[in-house]
Amino acid sequence: MSRTARTASAALTVALALGISACGSSGGEDVAADAKQTLTVWAMGAEGEKLAEVAEVYEKAHPNVTVKVTPVGWDVAHQKLVSAAAAGTMPDVAQMGGSYMGEFAELGVLEPVDTKTFDKKDFFPAGWNQGEVDGTAYGVPWYVDTRVLYYRTDLAKKAGVDKAPADWQEMRDLATAYQEKAGTKWGLSIQPSGLDTVQSFYPFLYSAGGAIVDDKGEAVIDSPEAVSALKEYGAYFDKGLANKSVQPGYDVLKDFGNGRVPMFFGGPWHVTLLDEGQPQIKGKWAVAPVPADSTSASQAGGSSLVVSKDSEHKAAATEFIRYLTDAEGQADWYARTKDLPANTTAWDSGKLAGDANLQVFKKQMDTAKSSHPSARLTEINDKVDQAIAKVTQGKASAEDALKTAQSEIEGLVKK
Amino acid sequence: MGTTTARAAQPAEVKKGPGAPPPGAGRGGAARRKRSMGVQNTAGWLFSTPFLVLFTVFMAFPILATLLMSFTDFGLRNVTRPWEANFIGFENYTELFGDEKFLKSLFNTAYFVVVGVPLTIALGLVVAVLLNNGIDRARTFFRVGFYAPVVTTIVAVAVVWRFVLDPSDGLVAGLFSEVGLTAPDFLGSETLAMPSMIAMAVWRNVGTVMVLFIAGLQAIPTEVREAARLDGAGVWQEFRGITVPLLRPTLLYATVITTIGYLNVFEEPFVMTQGGPSDSTLTVSLNMYREGFNFFHMGYASAMAYVLFVVIMGITVLQLRLLKDNTK
Repeated sequence: MSRTARTASAALTVALALGISACGSSGGEDVAADAKQTLTVWAMGAEGEKLAEVAEVYEKAHPNVTVKVTPVGWDVAHQKLVSAAAAGTMPDVAQMGGSYMGEFAELGVLEPVDTKTFDKKDFFPAGWNQGEVDGTAYGVPWYVDTRVLYYRTDLAKKAGVDKAPADWQEMRDLATAYQEKAGTKWGLSIQPSGLDTVQSFYPFLYSAGGAIVDDKGEAVIDSPEAVSALKEYGAYFDKGLANKSVQPGYDVLKDFGNGRVPMFFGGPWHVTLLDEGQPQIKGKWAVAPVPADSTSASQAGGSSLVVSKDSEHKAAATEFIRYLTDAEGQADWYARTKDLPANTTAWDSGKLAGDANLQVFKKQMDTAKSSHPSARLTEINDKVDQAIAKVTQGKASAEDALKTAQSEIEGLVKK
Repeated sequence: MGTTTARAAQPAEVKKGPGAPPPGAGRGGAARRKRSMGVQNTAGWLFSTPFLVLFTVFMAFPILATLLMSFTDFGLRNVTRPWEANFIGFENYTELFGDEKFLKSLFNTAYFVVVGVPLTIALGLVVAVLLNNGIDRARTFFRVGFYAPVVTTIVAVAVVWRFVLDPSDGLVAGLFSEVGLTAPDFLGSETLAMPSMIAMAVWRNVGTVMVLFIAGLQAIPTEVREAARLDGAGVWQEFRGITVPLLRPTLLYATVITTIGYLNVFEEPFVMTQGGPSDSTLTVSLNMYREGFNFFHMGYASAMAYVLFVVIMGITVLQLRLLKDNTK
């Protein structure tokens, strides 16, 4: 029997067995916030490592609460959470990426957010929307990120351009000028095909005013806006401005540093990575808002904090999340991790208010959009990835590719 | 002669004397033997319990569960509510054979096996024969060299091969530009991605096959070879008439396990291309993994696993028939 099938079935069986045994344990009594208790918290990646420090500070102020932080790697996070959901062993508090929210809401393991404690107006709209499924908020936005345009200013000067491209036409002209006058290998780095190609397509799609699934939950990927966005995206490959073949795991920063790729769409974490990994180009690059079509809009990312439905420490969990997401906690978190605060009031003072690069991110975040939460988000995105690949590889027109995607996604959102 | 036997027999008789069962004890002895058989059985079962428990829990039960699941629409929501999955009969299976992606993955897997297995076996045989009698110096060095890829983790292999195949500054691209040519983009091209994958798999697996063949070659008696040589057989005749027929059982075993391994191919496309470009390296196992763990179509993925299982069974039985040792 196949190795994969074996792993698959083994994982499921364990999940099933645990699921059955867990049925009896749920529905315990809630413990009051000021009682002595232990909170279990799962956080992912870099956040998981830094959160333990914050938890220590929190424990000093709240001696009755012990916070047990478990760092979970992003590569295994999804599987671990699904297993925990199946087994009924979800932690009291968990960090969750926006793309997970639809699935876990469908699994019915999340407690709706206490809207008396958390006010939607305190957060970036796109941040809050990520935690909302069918009108119910399940996650409190913890930090946000979005992608903006990174470009090489020194090479732009060489190409005879001294300002950031503001619209699609200027971006295409700059890409061409980079290649022709500054001698770069490519004009812009965007992903041609494969997993998560949609991530580099979002800035085009949203700036054109399109979407994959609209607010009502209808598939709209064949709209004229989406078609024009995909046409523009495909043109970069047609004209040889972008690389048609990029290997999985490609690191754009190296090529940005050596001048082969002068432009790419990147998140806030790229600032630190560039400073540390490519110090030779310090001061030779800048960030700019996503070049606009009808508007300038990017994809909102980031993570939310959720409380498990089965948790017996909901009151204390809510208190802990409030501590992490109020203005003060968010500024402190930024100082520790450089994660962009989801709470807008945290942006009013300190470095966050003054830094020009950060303000670009803030402005982009104001208009950023998030995917419509759905339990089938991965599958929907996969269909869009395929449509984009067809266009960048010159196999279909944008209209035809998106028409196919539209009919496939219609089938997925209806189920 | 007679004396030796007698002398040898005597002490045995002497020893037997006091221990000989008294008359009429025959029935009791049988009962004791039966009881001791029972004890032995219990001990046997006890010793195999760890294996049996692990096998039942982690193999037999999942295999059965997968079979059951393949007849249901088990999806994401059933992860927490498994009993709500609906029984849908053969719908998953009928849907599979109308699914273009699955058919493409089936084709890709067949391509991989049909080209990859003969290449691996042939190359493994050549290397084994050469190492067995051709090369005397640095034999260990070559053996280690050919076997090293087998024990290297796939992630490290993938990193190295990506460097080798990189279209802009890879090893192959460098060699091509030395002679004034441009190297093709191996992993980015739909026509070349699969052959590149096969080349890598052959390189990775030739070591296993080589070790099997070397063991097989050393079991061939030298007398047979000598006889052939005395009869005037050349190198090629000796290879065809002696080596290959006597290596037949090893050949069969190597072919069967390589075929099974290649039918299950998952790691190579998973780390190198993720099935791309345009699904040209999407294999059945990779497709199954995606359906099951990315999209949570567990029922559908289980059906896929069973189709692959039936294919593997069929091919293995066929190979055992065709390559059966007819010399005995």
